[in-house]
Amino acid sequence: MTDLDASASITPPASAELSLLVDTGSAWTKASLVARVRGRWRIVASVAQPTAWGEDALLVTLADRVREGVDPRLAGTVADLLDATPRIACRTPARPGRLVLAAVSHDISGAAARHAAEAAGWVVVEEASADDGRSLLDRLGVLQAVQADAWLLVGGFDDAAPDQALELASLVAAARRDDDAPGPVLWAGSGRLAEAVAAITGPDLTVLPNPRRDEHGGDPEPLRRHLEDLLQQLVEPGGVRQLAPIAFRRGVAEVARAGGLRTAGIEIGARYATWVRAEPDGTASGRVFAAGGTASPLLTMAGVASRVARHLALPLDELAVADALQNQRARPAALPQTEDELAVAQGAARLRLEQIAADEGGIGNLDLIVGAGRVLACAPAPAVAAMLLVDGLRPLGVTQLAIDPAGVLAPLGSLPDDELGEGFAAIAGDAIVPLGTAVVARGGRAGATVMRVRVRRAGWGEERFEIRAGQVVVEPLPRGAQAELEIELAGGASLGTQRRSVHVHAQASGGSVGLILDARDVPLRLPRRVDDRRAVLGAWLEAFTAEPAPRDGSR
Amino acid sequence: MSAAVHRVPLPPGAEPTVDVGDEVSADAVLAVRRALEPPIAVPAAQALRRPPAEVPARLVVMPGERVAAGDPLAAAGHRIVRSPVSGLFLTVARTDGSLLVAPLGEEVPVVGHVAGRVRAVERRSISIEVPGAVLRGIAGSGEAVHGELVVAVHEPGEELRAAAIDVAKAGRIVVGGSRASAETLIRARAMGVAGIVLGGVLDKELRDFESIQRRRREMGGMTGAFALILVEGFGKVGFDPPLFEWFRRQSGRMASLIGAERVLYVHEADPPPERRPLPLVGGQVVAHRRPFQGRSGALVAILDDLHAAPSGIPARMALVRFDDGRLAPVPLANLEAVAEPS
Repeated sequence: MTDLDASASITPPASAELSLLVDTGSAWTKASLVARVRGRWRIVASVAQPTAWGEDALLVTLADRVREGVDPRLAGTVADLLDATPRIACRTPARPGRLVLAAVSHDISGAAARHAAEAAGWVVVEEASADDGRSLLDRLGVLQAVQADAWLLVGGFDDAAPDQALELASLVAAARRDDDAPGPVLWAGSGRLAEAVAAITGPDLTVLPNPRRDEHGGDPEPLRRHLEDLLQQLVEPGGVRQLAPIAFRRGVAEVARAGGLRTAGIEIGARYATWVRAEPDGTASGRVFAAGGTASPLLTMAGVASRVARHLALPLDELAVADALQNQRARPAALPQTEDELAVAQGAARLRLEQIAADEGGIGNLDLIVGAGRVLACAPAPAVAAMLLVDGLRPLGVTQLAIDPAGVLAPLGSLPDDELGEGFAAIAGDAIVPLGTAVVARGGRAGATVMRVRVRRAGWGEERFEIRAGQVVVEPLPRGAQAELEIELAGGASLGTQRRSVHVHAQASGGSVGLILDARDVPLRLPRRVDDRRAVLGAWLEAFTAEPAPRDGSR
Repeated sequence: MSAAVHRVPLPPGAEPTVDVGDEVSADAVLAVRRALEPPIAVPAAQALRRPPAEVPARLVVMPGERVAAGDPLAAAGHRIVRSPVSGLFLTVARTDGSLLVAPLGEEVPVVGHVAGRVRAVERRSISIEVPGAVLRGIAGSGEAVHGELVVAVHEPGEELRAAAIDVAKAGRIVVGGSRASAETLIRARAMGVAGIVLGGVLDKELRDFESIQRRRREMGGMTGAFALILVEGFGKVGFDPPLFEWFRRQSGRMASLIGAERVLYVHEADPPPERRPLPLVGGQVVAHRRPFQGRSGALVAILDDLHAAPSGIPARMALVRFDDGRLAPVPLANLEAVAEPS
C-alpha cells in the first residue's frame, strides 16, 4: 500500500495511504477504497455499478463518495489520488476454460474428474461416458460439435484396464481430427492404460494424477492443481489468481485460517457461482459453477419457474415468475425495481443455493458461512441475506453467518501468498460483516417441540425459547456480543453432530440479524396447499424481517 | 452504409464450396457435408490371424480418418483388412477385434442465409461480410432463415394477432409488436412465414410453441425453417418508438434472421437507433424491467446519493419523463440511452 503526498501546502502536509480493491464482474463492478485512518486500515468508501458503464464512471462515483468524508485539504485532489492509487483487482473470466470430459463411468471416474475440473475453474462443456446410453455415433457427434480448450479422458482404478477407456480415446481422437486447434488431450485414468491411450490420441498426451485410484475413493486435489495450471497456460496466461472464482476461494481460505473456523463461502454472481469449503489450516476445496449465477440459463429451464414460485410468499403466478427469470438472464445488470421482481430474484438465488448444496451432497457441519455476490450482499436488509443463506443451504447445527457487502474478499484473494494474510488482517473487521448465528435442527414431530434453548448473555440474564416444528425465531444479538446456548433437542431432532446427545452446548456470536433458532427441518418442509404455503412462507419472512418484540424473559 | 461480419458455422466434415472474395446470395450453398450413418463392424482378428487384443497394434489408420472403399484398415504381414465402404474409421471393438467404420451418407448442402462477400473460409466456419444493418435481440430460437422484412402491426405496443398472419406473409420475416400468442406463432409457421421479430413474448407462449414444434419434428411432419427473435424483453413489451419507426422504414428489404444467435441482418439498410448504457440527462432513454419495461422517455435528472427503489434495493436513481407524460424514478442501471446512429 502506497504513501502519497497529496498537498504541497504548508505544514502539516496532508497525505493518504490508499489502496483500491476492484472486482470486475460480468454484470457489476465493485470497488472499495481502503485507507489508513488513525493508524488503522479501513474501507472508507465502496461503490458498485454495472460493468458496462466503464471504469471512468466508476472512479467518478467513487471520488464523489470519498469527497463526502475526506479531509478538506484533500478534496480537490481526490480524483488524482484515486488515479494513482495502487489496485488489487480481480475479474470474472472473459470466457471460461472449456473442457470436454470423456469418462468410463459418469458416476465414478466422471464425477471425480468433473469435481476437480470445476474446482480448478474449468467448465465442462460436454461429457461423454461409456454408460451414458448413447450410441457410438451419437457420442462422436456431440464430441465433434463441441469447441474445447482441452480434452480430459478418465477411467479405471489404478489396478484396472477397462476397454471402454480405449474406445472413448478413439472417439476423442476422431472428434479432434477435424479441428484446426483442438487443444491438448489429458489422461487422468488408470496408469496401466496411459501408453495405450497415447497410441490412440498421439504422443503429446499429458498424463495426470488419477482422481479415483481405487474403489474406496480418491483425491481429486492433485488433478485440480494440474488443471488450474493448465487453465492458466491455455486460457488465462495473465494468471488465474486474478480470476474472481479462484481469488474468492483464496479469500475464503484466509478467512478460515485467520479465524480457525471451518468456513464455507458462497458467491453468487450474474454468471458464475463459486462454492468454497475451507478448513482452519487454510486448505480449501470447492467448485466453480460457470453457468451458476443469477443470470444462469439453468434458471430458465422448464420447471424452474414453478419451483421458484412454490417458495414465494407473494401471490405470483408461474407465468410472471418465468418472464422475470428470463428478463434477469437477458439483462443481468438491471435491478429488480418492484417487490415482485425482487422476490423472484431472491427465489432464484435460494434455488441456486439449494442446488449447490445438493450437488455437494449436503454442506456438512460448518462454523461459518460467508455470502457474497450482489443478491446476498446487497439485499435490502441483512435479515433477507440471512434468510436466503439459511433457507437455501440449510446449514445443520450451529453456524455463524456473515456477508461480504463491499465485495472485497475476491480482490483480497488475488494478493500473492505472502501478502494475503497481512492484507486480510488489515481490513478483516470491515470486509466480513457478521449477520449472527443460526441454529438449524433436522427432524422432530409435526406440531411438537423440536428444541428448547436457554440463551445466556453477560449482563442480560437468561432467556428461554421453545421452538416447535416448522417454526423459526429470530432474536436480536448485536455484533460483538456472545451468548452461551444450552440446547435441548426433542422428538428425535438432531443438529447433525456425531454424538446423538439431546443436550448440546454451543456459543453464538451476534451480528446485524442476531440469533436464528430454526426448526423448519432439513430440507425445508412446506404445506402442499398454495394458500397454506404462502401463509407459512409469509410468517417465516416476517420472523426474519420484523422489528424485535419486547422482551418478557421467555417464549 | 455499414457492414457486419456473420460467421456461418460448418458442421463436422463439411467441405466448403466457396472461396474468399466470392459474392454469395442468401440462398447460396456455402458447403456440403455427408452425414455419418450407423457404423458397420469389419471383422479383423480372424482375417489377420491375430487375437483381438493385438488388432489395435496392426492398424494402418487412425481414429477419425476418412477411408475410401478398398482402403487398408489394418495389416499383419501380407494379410490386409480393407474398408468395404467409404466412411470414417472410428475404433476397434475390444471384445472381438472388429473395426468400426461409419459409412458416409448423402450430400447435404449448407446454406448461409446471408448475402455478402466471403471474408474467410475456415474448417469450422465461413465468415461473410453482410452490407447492411445488424440488430441483436435478447433471446431467440430456431434456425437461420431469410426473407423480405414486413411490419404486421400498426403501433409499437400492439400485439401480433393470428389474424394478421396470412398467406401473403409466406417466406417473409414479420415484425410483430409487444406479444404473440403460441397460436399466432403456430399459424405463422403453418403459413410458411420465415421468421418473426417481436418486442416481447411471454416465456410460456414461446415454450409452448417450441414444444409443439419439437413434437412435430420428432414425428417427421415438419418442413421449412422458422426463426424468432425477441428485442426488448419477456412479457408484454412493445418496441421503443424510434426502433419501430426504423423497422417501418426497412419494410420490403431482404433480411436474415439467425434465431439461435438472436441476430437480425437487414441488407442494404441504415443502422438502427443506437442503445448505450449510462444515459445522460436530457437524452432519450428506454427502461428495462417492470413496471416500465420497454417504455421510453426523456431522462430529466440523476439523483445524488443512493435511494431505495420500491423493491428496497439501494440504487442510483434517475427521474424519467415517460412518453405518456408520467414522471417516475427508475434505477439508472435499468435505463439505456437511445440515440440516432452517428
